[in-house]
Amino acid sequence: MEYFLSEEQKIIKKLAKRISDEYVSKVAIKYDKEGIFPRDILDLLAYTELTGVYIPKEYGGFGGGVMEMCLVVEELSRNCAGVAVSYAATALGAYPIILYGKEEQKKKYLPKIAKGELIAAFALTESDAGSDVSSIKTTAEKKGDYYILNGSKHWITNGGEADVYVVFAVTDKSKGPRGISAFIVEKGYEGFYCGKKEDKMGIRASSTTELIFEDCKVPKENLLGREGTGFIVAMKTFDRTRPGVAAMAVGIAQGAYEYAIRYAKERVQFGQPLSSFQAIQHMLADMYINIEAARAMLYSTCRMIDSGAKDFSKESSACKVFASDVAMKVTTDAVQIMGGNGYVKDYPVEKMMRDAKVTQIFEGANQIQRNIIASEIIKEY
Amino acid sequence: MKILVCIKQVVDPEKVEYNPETRTIKRNAQHLMNNPADLSALEFALRIKDVYKDVHITTLSMGPAECESKIKELIEVGCDSCVLLSDKRLAGSDAYSTAYALAKAIEKLGNFDLVLCGESSLDGETSIVPPQIAEYLNIPHISFATNIKVFDLQRIEIERKFKNQLFRFEVKLPALVSVKKDSAFLRLPKLSLMIKALSYTPQVLSLDDLENFDFSKVGAEGSKTSVDRFVEQSFEDVKCEIYEGLEAAQIECIADLVMRFL
Ligand SMILES: Cc1cc2nc3c(=O)[nH]c(=O)nc-3n(C[C@H](O)[C@H](O)[C@H](O)COP(=O)(O)OP(=O)(O)OC[C@H]3O[C@@H](n4cnc5c(N)ncnc54)[C@H](O)[C@@H]3O)c2cc1C
Repeated sequence: MEYFLSEEQKIIKKLAKRISDEYVSKVAIKYDKEGIFPRDILDLLAYTELTGVYIPKEYGGFGGGVMEMCLVVEELSRNCAGVAVSYAATALGAYPIILYGKEEQKKKYLPKIAKGELIAAFALTESDAGSDVSSIKTTAEKKGDYYILNGSKHWITNGGEADVYVVFAVTDKSKGPRGISAFIVEKGYEGFYCGKKEDKMGIRASSTTELIFEDCKVPKENLLGREGTGFIVAMKTFDRTRPGVAAMAVGIAQGAYEYAIRYAKERVQFGQPLSSFQAIQHMLADMYINIEAARAMLYSTCRMIDSGAKDFSKESSACKVFASDVAMKVTTDAVQIMGGNGYVKDYPVEKMMRDAKVTQIFEGANQIQRNIIASEIIKEY
Repeated sequence: MKILVCIKQVVDPEKVEYNPETRTIKRNAQHLMNNPADLSALEFALRIKDVYKDVHITTLSMGPAECESKIKELIEVGCDSCVLLSDKRLAGSDAYSTAYALAKAIEKLGNFDLVLCGESSLDGETSIVPPQIAEYLNIPHISFATNIKVFDLQRIEIERKFKNQLFRFEVKLPALVSVKKDSAFLRLPKLSLMIKALSYTPQVLSLDDLENFDFSKVGAEGSKTSVDRFVEQSFEDVKCEIYEGLEAAQIECIADLVMRFL
């Protein structure tokens, strides 16, 4: 389909596709199996300047927006969502700085993130605060020129690999969600450790770890935004990064669909290729319809966000939910089309099905997204 | 330092379309690619530019206007300027004529410290264009380089691996070096350079732009060699025999077959 991307966006997509097909495809199965962090691919993305597509020009980036970020994530995900999420998690860590950073913070971190010299991460979730974000317990207490952080974070993508972490902590327990603040924490700060690495079902090339703060000293100038605005920082960031999860889902689905078609044309049963059976043809047609619908929704949401629109939580949630459900369906069908071969690790669709699952869970489970959408649409009418 | 890299646009063997009636190859822009060995040469030039600041890389191609789209790809990896020598009168030129035309264009474009070429082009495979250019330019040349090291912008060291031996040459600049295919792989493009390439148009030279040009030396007429005939190789008569199972009889048949081809 013609997506009416600008010439520059087409170039970004083409370049990301090339890296995905020439490099990511070669390491996807190995990195998944052995849980290898794709630092080499991130280096290539840095060299080609794709690490800076969503960073404003004045901070050394390309000056694109959510659309440009999503195009890269989508193309990388066609071959390995684990690699894609390692890239996307830096965007998740960078967006709070882009949106709420003070000038000095932006100048200090964004140019290096744009160049790929710094990897970022976003640390909100805790063992007892998943969907219920506002119940986080990590504390930040102001003492002189420092905030002292105590507590732990769970499920942090790029944990242990990232150089900068945007960490959410409670500065005033009495205020509930309005008592949460965001901080920029650098690797190597005293009292900041990386805990257990998760052994995941999918996106195994990405690193997901616990983070531990034991009297961690964070300079007071590393407070992001004002004290008490952390919850808003997190929610406004998610509004911009949920399309990234949708892009991941569209990419995974596209990869599985392309593989399934090629397989169906080659595999012969009952003297004819699988692709000649109507039962298979309809599955392929449904894959196409769903992927195109998800992509159309994703791209128009990106355009809406990048146009400077003020409120797009509903649209951002809707494209995440729809695309992730499509990815799950398409990858499951791709496994079905390939029969036994779909179920073994020798072929990539088994991995794609595992990778797809997480898109329905992280950055707010799909149930939570439906809650967001429902509350908005009920308000509207 | 000024480096010139000669880069030919050849027909991509994977996309080639052959017209058996006219016995010609279709040469559309979509079918073209930059000659792989020339891209190895370009990668060496870019590596020199990575180390030394004031390095200017110009590429020179000879071919029809369709080549422009492929030439843009050279800007995407970091070339500073690209030149296309394009003139109908060059059609049918052999290696001798090509070398003459390229040398004249190089003379016109200025004083280069280093001229790099690929060892041969995918479609010609003669390997004689680079040394002939060097002859015309009256500069030393070394063929089949597998590595290039720059000492101090005055001298370079060339490595040539041949079977199990490694040769090292040291040459004073200016010089011409032809580079072995696959001795270096061309780097990925950069986003900002791809955007730059969008609006970049290579400089196009015609033979009229070249000084003291001897028109009798180029084109089919001026060439020393001519194509006598094309011979089509058909793979249709290659027979495929299938031996199923692993019975002694089949194994014997396969062993027989292997022996026949040894
Ligand atoms: C691989 C991976 C990477 C992650 N990366 C990060 C990261 O980088 N940074 C970060 O901060 N977090 C990260 N997370 C955390 C992620 O955002 C949470 O896992 C997610 O928000 C769900 O929280 P939970 O796992 O605690 O599930 P729970 O909150 O326990 O929810 C379990 C299920 O219950 C249902 N549910 C819960 N509440 C409701 C409700 N109100 N209404 C209806 N249904 C409900 C949902 O179906 C949900 O899936 C990551 C998670 C994973 C798995």
